[in-house]
Amino acid sequence: MSSEDLFVRFWGVRGSIPTPGPRTRRYGGNTSCVEVRAGKTLLVFDAGTGLRELGVHLGRSTDSPVTVHLFLSHPHWDHIQGFPFFGPAYESSTTIYVYGPRGDDKHYQLLSGQMSNAYFPVRFSELGARILARSFKGTSVDAGDATVHLFEQKHPGGSLGFRVEYAGKSVVFSTDNELDQLLLDKQAAFESPDELRKLPKELLKPVQDADLLIADAQYADDEYAQRVGWGHPRANTVVDLAAQAGVRRLALTHHDPMHSDREIDVVVSEAELRARRLGFEDLEIFGAREGVTLKI
Amino acid sequence: MPRRSPGSTQDFEDVHTRVATRVRGLRPRPERPHLLEVVDGPGKGTRFRLEAALYEMGRGANVSLQLDSDEVSRLHARLTRADGEYTVEDAHSRNGVLLNGLRVHAAVLRDGDELQLGDVVLKYLEGT
Ligand SMILES: [Zn+2]
Ligand SMILES: [Zn+2]
Repeated sequence: MSSEDLFVRFWGVRGSIPTPGPRTRRYGGNTSCVEVRAGKTLLVFDAGTGLRELGVHLGRSTDSPVTVHLFLSHPHWDHIQGFPFFGPAYESSTTIYVYGPRGDDKHYQLLSGQMSNAYFPVRFSELGARILARSFKGTSVDAGDATVHLFEQKHPGGSLGFRVEYAGKSVVFSTDNELDQLLLDKQAAFESPDELRKLPKELLKPVQDADLLIADAQYADDEYAQRVGWGHPRANTVVDLAAQAGVRRLALTHHDPMHSDREIDVVVSEAELRARRLGFEDLEIFGAREGVTLKI
Repeated sequence: MPRRSPGSTQDFEDVHTRVATRVRGLRPRPERPHLLEVVDGPGKGTRFRLEAALYEMGRGANVSLQLDSDEVSRLHARLTRADGEYTVEDAHSRNGVLLNGLRVHAAVLRDGDELQLGDVVLKYLEGT
């Protein structure tokens, strides 16, 4: 493993609530959590239930002290609920930086708040690790050897997207983002769904030319009409975003808890077909799946 | 189920433990091993029974899971077992490892997955 390497591993790809069981076994049932390794730096995006398994993995694979740079898209349950079960948080040798926008330690407070009183038997203050709130300076921050930029997204209560830059490569983590509310022509997407859905320039910028975009793609087109305003986009709209921004690989994630493995396969293959039909031959599209590691 | 005992306190029986020991499916039984079957390319039809904790896959003479193709690197990938599941990991191969068509560095395998190493396509079949 060279120090210039950038790896991404999916630990939780489910939206809203964990979905154990045979229907979801292949893609996995744990909620949002992605590990990014930038050389020796360990960055974690979201602390859904997938974080527990990352903790188990770290416990088995390393004896040296763990430093985690933790970024939370927002504090909805499916993005924080794994934290109290993250083994390394109980070790005094561990350091965890919890990042939030400048002048705002809301993420740190909400992460600790879920461990108060009746919700959980262990207090946040009783955790062995050094857990520190850190802020972005403006819209970017140096996290170990990587640089992370943040951008705001469309979601009830707000959410943040993150772009990691390392050794000339880039990965964007963008979940819980209702792109469909921000389309230049929202009605057109209903009336002529096959046409390219145009997005404002400021939305393209944070994902422009990314090597990998990991994006919330919770709904199929025919499901969305009943779910407008719930905070998640149509998978097909994410395809159009990636295509217009020149993204190389697109991982569809935050899978709907109602979707079985086969239904996710259908969403993914429709997305692939759409990209080909619209003439974006080079965009590679796949469904994010637990236990898969990509080298960027 | 709460049960009123004489006096004013309630006793709770541990119903779960009691019932679970009687469930038939929980009796230990012999495991059927996971399999990798070559479904396309050189060696088509070959089946590998996966029983060891580690396999080295490649065309080299000293690997434990040998694939006879020039498009496969001498040491192409490793298969490791943890908690009864196998993970494939690319060992700096020339042509990479594809999981159902997607180039991956590593992946925990699931029933029905297709792995491609060079021009050799293998199907992973989970035992029980
Ligand atoms: Zn969510
Ligand atoms: Zn949310």
